[in-house]
Amino acid sequence: MITRLRFVLGLCAGLFIATTNASVEDKYQFESKERAQTFAELTKELRCPKCQNQNIADSDAVVAKDLRDRVLTLVHEGKSKQEVIDFMIDRYGYFVHYQPPVTPLTVLLWILPGLIIVIGFGFIVVRQRKAAQAQEWTEADEKQLNALLEKYEQRGQQ
Amino acid sequence: MNRKLIGLVPLAIFALLSVFLYQGLFGDPRELQTGRLGHPMPQFSLPDLMDENKVWTEQDLKGEVYLMNVWGTWCPTCIAELGYLTELKERGIKIVGLYYEQAYDPDFGDQFDVVKLREEVNNMLDRAGNPYAFNILDLERTLALDLGVSGAPETFLVDKEGKILVHHTGDVNPRVWRAKFAHVLQEITP
Repeated sequence: MITRLRFVLGLCAGLFIATTNASVEDKYQFESKERAQTFAELTKELRCPKCQNQNIADSDAVVAKDLRDRVLTLVHEGKSKQEVIDFMIDRYGYFVHYQPPVTPLTVLLWILPGLIIVIGFGFIVVRQRKAAQAQEWTEADEKQLNALLEKYEQRGQQ
Repeated sequence: MNRKLIGLVPLAIFALLSVFLYQGLFGDPRELQTGRLGHPMPQFSLPDLMDENKVWTEQDLKGEVYLMNVWGTWCPTCIAELGYLTELKERGIKIVGLYYEQAYDPDFGDQFDVVKLREEVNNMLDRAGNPYAFNILDLERTLALDLGVSGAPETFLVDKEGKILVHHTGDVNPRVWRAKFAHVLQEITP
């Protein structure tokens, strides 16, 4: 009985998934697979200006739908992926694209971690070398040692 | 001496990091960069909200400094700022409304009832104050998209040549006016 129920439930779930997939494919139709691919990539890479941590494919905000529709129109017109991204950046600023451009300021984000690692290791290596160097035992060292020994011996006698 | 200086390095890094992170506490993530600052008002041709035979274009707006306020009756913050905008209008600032219709979506077969909308807008403006010289109806939100509008309310300050000088997301209140608009307006008015 239970296995039967499971089978029916599984069948329902399968049907549900099949129909929703079909409707997504029907909603947008493209001349070529490349354009469909471009549209899918763009809607994933463009960021919704309202629901800030969602892409426009994911968001249900009005502005996200408007951007999706506009991306669709531009892709239908045969615009390249970069052209569509530039179009959106012109209007919404760099914020709208999930890949920020490399500018003199953002380049810091790439360089700084590497720099910190290099400096850190350099520091360790330099210190290590200094510590490993053989040091000569000088007259002054001998004197200091003797003075200290004397001091401790005196203390021990007391 | 040298060793002491090196010892201070971690403290210096910590101090810098603290300042950086402390500033982050007060950052507003909704304060977006906008691509349209310093650029001319985009081309458009849209009807007046109250009279579909009257069509406005960006050329009609040239020659005067104005605020363009993106709003809708569905947006509570927009209604809250109507009072202060009316005050600004009484000080002699021209305010153009860009009506941002949210619910309309032709893909879902929505019918748009402009007569009902006019009635709603008039009621609202009678109650809360009417700062607008006129309202432009952007039913498909095309001008809004070209302006980089992400919702309502948003306000733009545009100069005589049609150049966009300020783009503010959120309501306009005395604090925002002082911080973002007043000094820019003062610079361009002789």
